[in-house]
Amino acid sequence: MTAIPNLTPAYAEMFLAIAGMALLMVGVFRKSDPIRGVTMLAILAFAVAAVLSISTNGAETVTFNGLFVVNAFTGFAKLLILLGAGLAMLLALPWARNEGVSRYELPVIMVFAVLGMMMMVSANNLLSLYVGLELQSLALYVLAAFNRGNLKATEAGVKYFVLGALASGLLLYGSSLVYGFSGTTSFAGLADALTGAESNAGVIVGIVFVICGFAFKVSAVPFHMWTPDVYEGAPTPVTAFFSVAPKIASLCLFLRILVGPFEDLMDQWRQVLTVICVASMLWGAVAAIAQNNIKRLMAYSSIGHVGYALIGLIAGTQEGARGMIYYMLIYLFMNVGTFAVILSMRVKDRYVESIDDLSGISKTNPAIALALTALMFSMAGIPPLAGFFGKYFVFAAAVNAGLIPLAVIGVLSSVIGAYYYLRLIKIMYFDGSVENFDRPDYSTSLVMGVCALSVVVFIFLPEPLLAGADAAAAALFQG
Amino acid sequence: MEAAAIFLPLVGAFIAGFFGRQIGDRASQVVTCLGVGSAAVLSIPLFFDVAVNGNERVVTIMNWINSGTFETAWALRFDTLSAVMVMTVTCVSSLIHVYSVGYMSHDDSKPRFMAYLSLFTFAMLMLVTADNLVQLFFGWEGVGVVSYLLIGFWFKKPTANAAAIKAFVVNRVGDFGFLLGIFGIYMLFDAVTFDTVFNAVPAHVDDTVTFFGIKGHALTLIALLLFVGAMGKSAQLLLHTWLPDAMEGPTPVSALIHAATMVTAGVFLVARMSPLFEYAPAALEVVTIVGASTAFFAATIGCVQNDIKRVIAYSTCSQLGYMFFACGIGAYPAAIFHLMTHAWFKALLFLGSGSVIHAMSNEQDMRKMGGIWKHVKVTYAMMWIGTLALVAVPPFAGYYSKDMILEAAFGAHTSVGQYAFIMGIGAALLTAFYSGRLLFMTFHGEPRADKETMDHVHESPLVMTLPLAGLALGAIFSGMIGYDLFIGEGRFDFWRDALAVVGEDPIEAAHHVPAWVVWSPMVVTVLGLGLSFHMYMRRPEIPGQLAAKFPGVYQFLLNKWYFDELYDFFFVRPAFWIGNFFWKRGDQGTIDRFGPDGISSSIISGARRLGSVQTGYLYHYAFAMIIGIALFVSWIVVGS
Amino acid sequence: MIAATLAFYLFSALAIVGALNVIFQRNPVHSVLWLIFTFFNAAGLFVLLGAEFVAMILVIVYVGAVAVLFLFVVMMLDINITMVREGFLKYLPVGLLVGGILLAELITVFAGWVMSDSADVLRAAPAPDPSDIGNTEALGLILYTDYIYVFQAAGIILLVAMIGSIVLTHRTRAGVRKQVIGEQNARRPSDTLEVVKVESGKGLQ
Repeated sequence: MTAIPNLTPAYAEMFLAIAGMALLMVGVFRKSDPIRGVTMLAILAFAVAAVLSISTNGAETVTFNGLFVVNAFTGFAKLLILLGAGLAMLLALPWARNEGVSRYELPVIMVFAVLGMMMMVSANNLLSLYVGLELQSLALYVLAAFNRGNLKATEAGVKYFVLGALASGLLLYGSSLVYGFSGTTSFAGLADALTGAESNAGVIVGIVFVICGFAFKVSAVPFHMWTPDVYEGAPTPVTAFFSVAPKIASLCLFLRILVGPFEDLMDQWRQVLTVICVASMLWGAVAAIAQNNIKRLMAYSSIGHVGYALIGLIAGTQEGARGMIYYMLIYLFMNVGTFAVILSMRVKDRYVESIDDLSGISKTNPAIALALTALMFSMAGIPPLAGFFGKYFVFAAAVNAGLIPLAVIGVLSSVIGAYYYLRLIKIMYFDGSVENFDRPDYSTSLVMGVCALSVVVFIFLPEPLLAGADAAAAALFQG
Repeated sequence: MEAAAIFLPLVGAFIAGFFGRQIGDRASQVVTCLGVGSAAVLSIPLFFDVAVNGNERVVTIMNWINSGTFETAWALRFDTLSAVMVMTVTCVSSLIHVYSVGYMSHDDSKPRFMAYLSLFTFAMLMLVTADNLVQLFFGWEGVGVVSYLLIGFWFKKPTANAAAIKAFVVNRVGDFGFLLGIFGIYMLFDAVTFDTVFNAVPAHVDDTVTFFGIKGHALTLIALLLFVGAMGKSAQLLLHTWLPDAMEGPTPVSALIHAATMVTAGVFLVARMSPLFEYAPAALEVVTIVGASTAFFAATIGCVQNDIKRVIAYSTCSQLGYMFFACGIGAYPAAIFHLMTHAWFKALLFLGSGSVIHAMSNEQDMRKMGGIWKHVKVTYAMMWIGTLALVAVPPFAGYYSKDMILEAAFGAHTSVGQYAFIMGIGAALLTAFYSGRLLFMTFHGEPRADKETMDHVHESPLVMTLPLAGLALGAIFSGMIGYDLFIGEGRFDFWRDALAVVGEDPIEAAHHVPAWVVWSPMVVTVLGLGLSFHMYMRRPEIPGQLAAKFPGVYQFLLNKWYFDELYDFFFVRPAFWIGNFFWKRGDQGTIDRFGPDGISSSIISGARRLGSVQTGYLYHYAFAMIIGIALFVSWIVVGS
Repeated sequence: MIAATLAFYLFSALAIVGALNVIFQRNPVHSVLWLIFTFFNAAGLFVLLGAEFVAMILVIVYVGAVAVLFLFVVMMLDINITMVREGFLKYLPVGLLVGGILLAELITVFAGWVMSDSADVLRAAPAPDPSDIGNTEALGLILYTDYIYVFQAAGIILLVAMIGSIVLTHRTRAGVRKQVIGEQNARRPSDTLEVVKVESGKGLQ
């Protein structure tokens, strides 16, 4: 009989799967306030998974018959995902209490979503890639519609589900074309088959389909249409989760397959991605200007940010990969922090989402205003805040890779984008105050403070954070 | 000591300007008065040391610009010329500082005013002690800026703002010429330091420059350009229009800047550059003609003006004309002598009129004065002293300097010299006339002010009358004392190399003119005073009748020869039109419309359009995805 | 072999006809029936490939469960067919254009299809000879060994799907009586019955 595969590399995933099911049981049998306990346990589970992931994070190891791989890159990506998910979970806690949501399935599904993301990141085969992606997507569809009594949330869930299914179809179709060309779905096999092979229209079209499927997951133009609606409709902590964890997972996987098995077809995928990237940056910058709902604004903002991150991917170099990882790291803090601010926007026990509600809060809630100011300046890429370095690294990578026009467009669109970030600041500081916000919850304030502070102090201590990113990028380009 | 004399006013200005609010009004006044006062005290021994004992020196403070062959330093040059200027400026300025304490007692921003005054004094001192043209230009622009600030001191008054802008803009025209002149000097001599330039002048006498294909004598061109600068600063004909309007400023400002010091900077410049001007005879002729014409022209206008300060302003303009034509005929010592005496008596006249205005509750129109001499006896006496000095009655100061200028003009025996002499005599007649008119209208006759104002007429406080007395001393004695040193037998030992004269010495010639030339100024002065006495004291109806009989002439003079109107028509309005064109059409209509505004508005409309793509319909979204993938696939298939 | 070839074309043709009918039927119930028809033909194609297990799964799961579920849903939902039609006609030209372009491109791509040198070997490798081992057994052998990871992942996906559908649809309604068997069993006559002696002529109070 076949020997039992080496399970060590997958400890984190296995733990998380078991933890998810155990949490379900806890929720079922816990009588009072189940969501609180389950959420806390889920955060704990993330922490344990992070520790397990770090402990197994060494040299590249392949297991499960080549379906699963861990290396420094996957390890770092998983840490980012767990961090983003953990912070989002912290935000979900007060939200659930304030909204009277008692269904403990929210953290459970988030755990499974994170599991799916980690599986994606570690996928070493188109098949395992697909199951990871599906696990993640399915959990996200449910999360989007979680507030089922709300019409918008339901609409968001349905839209996300149908379009996500379409995107999965594209991805599968592309995968089947690639399989048809090479006869294998394993990344290693694909790399072998594609190396030195004459460029083949079939496999290129397959890759285009795969890219489009991924572009949907990272909400890049023109596959972004779901984003504003889903961001607006989904519960705010879920939106916070949406805006970081799945994006990081998808981008990391994107990076892995494009510079891994498909590296030899860089000339082709670069063209497609460049269009997607430029369109995302510009669309994100321009369309956000007309928004009045801050969650929709963040949706467009995230579209733009994905565009910037993709620049690093398009560069296709180790420097570019490192830039993209930096970018995702910084983006994580900026975005989660901003959503913490959005979750602090409560007037008379009711969450508000309009930009005008921020009017004049510099006087009524100076701390929130200050935090959001730091975050917005960072998002706009104003030195010396973290966001500037994120952009700087990817633009520098693009310039060094000879993609100067791309960097120029990036700079231009960040100038346009700066408008709406700065508009928020202007509204906070120079417009008359409308209403006082309620006192923000403890954990929301904590997340807000931590994120805003990281954005500010990034310049002083980038080394410990970035050393991991460097190692991750290096691991990607070992072969 | 040299540096202290120059920089103490700056220290005072700094303290009063930046900490005036903290230390209060009184302390600001004290600190600025002390700064300038000590500078004045220091300047007197300095004057004797430098001018009388002949210890000329250059005190270098620090290097300023070193770029290639271009070298300038911050340096204080003390020769007789600058020592005279330093002494005059600091003494008059310190008296005016003290006077301002009283005059501005009802103003809200005393520290600011005092700071400006001190800053001005510093800039003026930088100007006169400059060792090179660039530093001179620094002082030149410095006094221009403070002049702007002080004319517009009451910035809530629109007319004051307009006058300040006018002064600045008109001066810019002159400054442009001055700058070109500096460029020309650097081009020709490869240096801007005075000694270097002056030593090199004889070697460049025959140099020519070609400009737009026109060949010209280089030194003449440079001299003319410098003179354009001098014309602007000293309000000579064509660039004189700003000076009367500058009377919008507080009266001490008019006295200090627009009578005693800043406006004489042009004369100083020509005198300072005399080694160069002497080799440009054509330029000197221009200087003479412009100066003489201004002397006469301004005097004619002075005869019909009704604003007491404007009369004195035109008088200043006219006296500056005298100084210029003295320079033009080569009588630089006479020009500087007149500059010095004029500083005393003109400051006295201004401050006296300020005292009158103060007494009349800020009334400046002479038609609404009259009959107040009994109430303001001290001021009245001071005004008489100033007037007698101005109209050159012996033994007052003006007599010595002005007569010397007229004699020198006659003694030059050139056609421009004769022209200057005739104009000067005419101007002297008019000067006597309008000075008498001013006195009689202001102090004598029936009171024309309303009763309330008349009841309030009072003598100014001691803090104002004491400086008047100080200036009066200068107005009486400065001519007598200075005569021998400046233009008498002692002049060669006194001036030494500070002023250059090539060829025949016009001062020497002035001492040997016929008797009628010596007496004619005296005669016309008496004539003028008598005429004014007749017209305004004995037969007050005559002026009105004259005005009615010759309305053309009257209007022509009253409207200042229509210079403002001409400039308005030829320069101001076209400039506004061009500016409007470029602003509305060029900037807003083209650059903004297609540049920033256009881009931002197209981005905003683009944002709306992109937002409207977001219909919310599921099948639209799905369709967008399908179209996207179709496009990408097409691109790849067609492209590869 | 001829028979197999003929059968392939027959099944393929019918599958395409069925698929087109799914789209073009006016009545959604008919569409679902055509979908079942297509599934059968696809099952036939699998049989021709020697994948009888997959074929049977297709029939049992898709036809037996999924399609029947579809039928229920379609019948229970009140779909306004004319409205759907309107949108259909409005977007038909653009849709056809885009679809046509995509189709043409894919045809050109498939026309110039080249396989990787190693593709044939790789593809042949995992498939054992059907005469040696049964389809079900062969699948089982790799499903629980080489692909245990994917298998378990699929299980988790199904779990999430289950949790999700419960979360999104299950609701406890107030005022709805439910049968609680335990309570029924635990009920004793003494809990509900009271024996009352009625004195004659007095009646009940």
